[in-house]
Amino acid sequence: MNWREYQALQRVSELGERFLSYVDEGRGDPVLLLHGIPTWGYLWQGLLPALSGPHRVLVPDLLGFGYSDRRDCFDRSIGRQAELIDAWLGKLGLEHIHVVGHDIGGGVALRLATLFPRRVSRLALLNSVCYDSWPIEGMLQFGHPGAYRRLSATAALRLLKLMLRQGFARSPDDELLEGLLAPYATEVGKLSLIRNASALNTNLTTEVSPLLTRLELPALVLWGENDAFQPVKYGERLARDISGAQLVRVREARHFVMLDRPDEVGGHLLSFLGGAGAEPLPAGAGVP
Amino acid sequence: MLGLGKSRPVPEHEAEGEIERVYHEIRQTLRVTGVNLNFRTWAAYEKFLPAMWDAVRPNAQTRAFEDAADGLREQAVRSSEGLGRLGAASALALGESQRYHIRGALDLYHYVNPKLLLLTSAVRLSLQGEPIGEGDGRAAPEERIEPGPPGAMHSMEMESEKPKDKTVRALFGDITRTLALSSINSDYRTLALWPDYLDAAWARIKPIIGRDEYRRSADSLRDRARALARALPHPIPLTAERLGELGEDVGGIQETTERFERLLPGLILNVALFSLDWRTPEELVRSPFPAAASRLIRGGIR
Repeated sequence: MNWREYQALQRVSELGERFLSYVDEGRGDPVLLLHGIPTWGYLWQGLLPALSGPHRVLVPDLLGFGYSDRRDCFDRSIGRQAELIDAWLGKLGLEHIHVVGHDIGGGVALRLATLFPRRVSRLALLNSVCYDSWPIEGMLQFGHPGAYRRLSATAALRLLKLMLRQGFARSPDDELLEGLLAPYATEVGKLSLIRNASALNTNLTTEVSPLLTRLELPALVLWGENDAFQPVKYGERLARDISGAQLVRVREARHFVMLDRPDEVGGHLLSFLGGAGAEPLPAGAGVP
Repeated sequence: MLGLGKSRPVPEHEAEGEIERVYHEIRQTLRVTGVNLNFRTWAAYEKFLPAMWDAVRPNAQTRAFEDAADGLREQAVRSSEGLGRLGAASALALGESQRYHIRGALDLYHYVNPKLLLLTSAVRLSLQGEPIGEGDGRAAPEERIEPGPPGAMHSMEMESEKPKDKTVRALFGDITRTLALSSINSDYRTLALWPDYLDAAWARIKPIIGRDEYRRSADSLRDRARALARALPHPIPLTAERLGELGEDVGGIQETTERFERLLPGLILNVALFSLDWRTPEELVRSPFPAAASRLIRGGIR
């Protein structure tokens, strides 16, 4: 599926003066997929067919990302994102949902699980930000307010492509990269992404770190083990702190683990989330 | 809307100094999320834009200006109703989010374009030495509207003027040739974010643009804009002599202004025609973003 086909699947939900674009596919136990920075819901397109078989899969573009609201007048922190996602799920009438988060989407998932615990029934974290693992240097620089003037949209796109490539174990094709960055190819998109990067804040994960040991829910920590952005040591720490969490290391995979190893990641998620045809996790999957 | 002038238009992200200051005030005063091509083109005349803006701003922030623009918009919708329906939106399998964004983009231009025409007409008349500022007193001159873009207004997001996509490039070429533009309008650059939609909408509107009734509607809008400009509440101290004193290219500025004034009525009609695919005429004659009265009083923050 190319990014325009994915965009055509998106719906819209208004929340006060803000709006979220999202994909809502399949029927069954609901699953929420949260992307990170600098991507959007399209990140998950490869897993949609598999996951939407046994599940209702909801994939929002976080506020300020993708084709959700990107006006330059609101807070894009993961704290605000978690509050907004909680409100949106309430609007959809979804009391409980399985949550899968990648990168800062994992940060949003951690805040949902710790601060809105009744909302989250299962938690899967994929190469997620956590503790003081973030923001990475490249995003800190990108988030400087002066970047708006220093970088044209074209230059920003070139820089982001270079950055993204480092997150793959094998060189991704141009079409995929174009798709992942499509919403940020304009000046408005560039500015929005800069504001998103400006909102990256370690304190919003360190704040909830002490709460991780109190989590009482099935959890999966799945990590592309060659990730230089979010090293696997953070995944190991999460798996130690969240009681009963399974740690799955994915070999020959980096930050974008679901794109490097889509079948393997899809299998693990289906197994963890349950549903028709799900296979159990392979023996030893939980051993760091 | 039209890219003319002695040098290239100044994009918002490249604006500095006085131009940056004026761009900010334009967004605030006209209540819009971006700066349209007429201003970006005028900004190439770097002394002209601030002088022009400082001269027109007292009018642009009034209720009288807002009401006059509302009147132009209503006239455009009524005229467009008689020009036919495009049916571009229903011809495509657009997703809900895409439809939401296109509708939002059209609302933005449907709102701001009549203001641009009114302001451009006022500038043109001033530069020709015609008096402005003989308001009929229907609106109290001191009544101002609340500044700042409405919360629900979409961002003025645009495709690059030189898009990578061949289809969009060809479409831009056809639009600029057909409308005799030197540069592609903001409106079309925004709609190009959904290339299939712009392609379908342009293919349907292009034959209408050549009709006599379309031209008559556009002429009528321009005449009305001039009449409304003459009736604005505040004088506009902007003359060709003043521009000469500033060392600006008076002929170039006048030519640019005249061409914008000639083309904006058509653009207003086109956006109304596009919008009729998405909203009823009764919805469209109302301002998409009604302005509240300003909490500031005359003599307060200017």
